[in-house]
Amino acid sequence: MEVLRVEDVRKSFRGDLSLRRREVLHGVSLYAAAGEILGFLGPNGAGKTTTIKIILGLLRPDSGSVTIFGNPAGGREAARSIGYLPETPYFHPHLTLREFLGFCGGLSGLSGADLRRRVEETTALVGLEPHAGRRLKGFSKGMLQRAGLAQAILHGPDLLVLDEPFSGLDPLGRKMVRDILVDLRGRGKTIFFSSHILPDMEALCDRTAIIRDGVVTRSVTLDEIYRLGEGTVEITARGCPENTAHDLADYIESIQCSGEETFLIVRRQEFVRTVIQHLYRSGSEVLEVATQHPSLEDVFLTEFSQPRSDAEKETAARPSVGAGAQGRSS
Amino acid sequence: MRAIAHVARSTFRETVREKLLWLVAAYGIVLVVSTWILSPLSVGAARDKIVVDVGLAGISLFGVLTAIMIGGALVHKEIDKKAVYMVLTRPVSRGEYLVGKFAGIMAAISSLVGLMAVLLVLVMLAGRVDLTRVLFAAVALSLVEIAVITAIVVLFSTFTTPVLTSFFTIGVFVAGSLGSDLRIFAQKFGGAAMRRVMDVLYFMLPNLSIFNLRHEAVHGLRLTGHEFLVSLLYGAVYAAAMLYFAWLIFRRREFA
Repeated sequence: MEVLRVEDVRKSFRGDLSLRRREVLHGVSLYAAAGEILGFLGPNGAGKTTTIKIILGLLRPDSGSVTIFGNPAGGREAARSIGYLPETPYFHPHLTLREFLGFCGGLSGLSGADLRRRVEETTALVGLEPHAGRRLKGFSKGMLQRAGLAQAILHGPDLLVLDEPFSGLDPLGRKMVRDILVDLRGRGKTIFFSSHILPDMEALCDRTAIIRDGVVTRSVTLDEIYRLGEGTVEITARGCPENTAHDLADYIESIQCSGEETFLIVRRQEFVRTVIQHLYRSGSEVLEVATQHPSLEDVFLTEFSQPRSDAEKETAARPSVGAGAQGRSS
Repeated sequence: MRAIAHVARSTFRETVREKLLWLVAAYGIVLVVSTWILSPLSVGAARDKIVVDVGLAGISLFGVLTAIMIGGALVHKEIDKKAVYMVLTRPVSRGEYLVGKFAGIMAAISSLVGLMAVLLVLVMLAGRVDLTRVLFAAVALSLVEIAVITAIVVLFSTFTTPVLTSFFTIGVFVAGSLGSDLRIFAQKFGGAAMRRVMDVLYFMLPNLSIFNLRHEAVHGLRLTGHEFLVSLLYGAVYAAAMLYFAWLIFRRREFA
């Protein structure tokens, strides 16, 4: 079941002193299915926050459409199913955490004993139980981030939209947030989040949409990332003779020595047997053979080391009609 | 309605916990109490008039100042600091948000005005000054005047900064307080163009002088229920119109 659909969304802004509008989203398209964690990745200024604000109804697209459970973004029905954590949360500083969560829950339609119970449960879940009676103005950045997550999940929304949820958190806080998000996914919730912390994104996301210059250029699953790296094998050996690099030049991509150990990256998987046999024959001891998977970071860096293709530029330049691309799949 | 109540309650809490409110409240209280100190300088009926006049003027002035200082900053800060996202991304309409803000600010200022009114009554009782119905009507209409000013503050704060909101609102307050006099002056001494300009301003700006019952309260004049209701209705319609215009602007606003 499709929870979130962003269809060929374009958005432009007028500069402070200029009448000309500058387009920042050139036809963004993406979707998220029920129970999926979709990461949203891109460098600063690529259009992540603008896209998120359009999903939330805080900005209106120039063209294109956004639906949440089939309801148009920005409407009351769509808002009922969303929980949102902004990038740099600022909450009413004079309210205590309990009052603030009560306020948020009330706005989301909770009331009475149910509201009080959920406030207590959520406060405990994000590890802020001892601070529930404290005013938010005394909270650290990490505590505010936890409070922000609490208000986003308090009313049990089916779609969570999180803008940089790991920002300002220490390692324990990051782990706590990761555990909460995994638990929510297990309960069928859909999570759409942007982050600059790639290992967290890689650990959590079922799929990652990469946005570049206002266009979603790629949408990859973790499996697809791993498949990208099939054939790259690293062999660790001891006691390699000096001419190893020369002898294996046709089979290996790189060779590095560190003390007694030598690390060899095999060019293709079918060369592994040849390389190992050569190492044994030369009297070396093979310590480890490991398949190397590229990380999300590798995919991200590769994506941004290449100029955008003509087709992508054309997509960005063409007028917004019909359905846009979902981003090329790897 | 529930959303309005939640926004109003949270705004009330925010406002009464603002140090600025208590600073303004302290000044208001000092002003009211000072009438007690000033009154011995005059005698008899003149003393009573000073107590009532200064007391009511203090309530009105400090109520309006609080609305301008707190109201403008509160709404703008929520937009500027993005706290408003927490509200508008929930099933809450922008109209409900604005009305909730207005109601919360008014609830806080009403508490302040109530506090000052109680002090004024205590000062009057201590000075054996007669309490009249007009005095209480004057306090009530001061609150209506503050509601009109608060609605104007909310309107300006939807599209401009707190400083400009304060500047514009003070301008409206001064012009609205003197509007009737300026119009009469223009009709007597001004040219045709001046008369037309003053007519337009008179009908556009709030006629705040109808909320000012200090003269009646000081001199013990009668006030009919009809006059009071007309003033009340005028204030309610004007405040509602300002909130409507605020909504027209705010519902189209984007949060980039």
